[in-house]
Amino acid sequence: MLDALYPWLKAAHVAAAVAFIGGLLAGAIALAAVQSDRFPATASTAFMQVVRAWDRRVTTPAILLVWALGLTLALQGHWFHSAWFPAKLAIVVTLSAWHGVQSGTLRRVAGGRAMGPGRGLTITPFAILAAVVVIVLLAVLKP
Amino acid sequence: MTSAGGPLTSRLDLEAAQLRRLEQVSLLEATTLVLLVCVAVPLKHLAGLPLAVAVMGPVHGLAFLTYGWVAIQTVAGGGWRRAEATRLLLLAVIPFGGYFNLALIRRKRIELATAIAA
Repeated sequence: MLDALYPWLKAAHVAAAVAFIGGLLAGAIALAAVQSDRFPATASTAFMQVVRAWDRRVTTPAILLVWALGLTLALQGHWFHSAWFPAKLAIVVTLSAWHGVQSGTLRRVAGGRAMGPGRGLTITPFAILAAVVVIVLLAVLKP
Repeated sequence: MTSAGGPLTSRLDLEAAQLRRLEQVSLLEATTLVLLVCVAVPLKHLAGLPLAVAVMGPVHGLAFLTYGWVAIQTVAGGGWRRAEATRLLLLAVIPFGGYFNLALIRRKRIELATAIAA
């Protein structure tokens, strides 16, 4: 029965991944913008509350779905023994951990606290994008 | 989104909600690990019932991933010492260790509740 569901699970996995990456990029760009002091403090807080609401309602459920569906697909396809899958998994773990850090930072700024000293946040969206490109290459080409 | 108590109370409320979430997933993670190690694994090796591990393995895996994510999210919000953050992550991989984390999380909640009341 799971075999018949495979295309549906895969489609749902890709849709959840797109929602997750979109939210992750939006949060990263928003944090970079706030850190660049383009907004006054009160505007930053209000802006971050909107970004955080999206993170909680869409991005976080999306990453949970990505993991649940992804592991189901991996077990079904016996991918744990292939060479490309551990590499993809390592990047997904890194992106998930980064989302945790970013989500905590969003809560901090949405609560009215300062972001702290710069941590190279301007390059973060580019790093996320590069990671996504590698994930897509690994998933499609399965080298 | 600012509460009636002002921005400071709103900020503390956000942290209190986060600590409640961490406490809940910590309890879930610790319990699924104990069920996996102390019930499912003995059932597999002593009673020849691999189904228990087949079920509890993925359940604990997802619970652990969720816990790790919420722990990182909580620590990234600030207010945690490096030793406390390390303890949160290390104890979670030891059977029954997660229950000891609950004491730390509850202490943090009490500190926060005191700050809100002050």
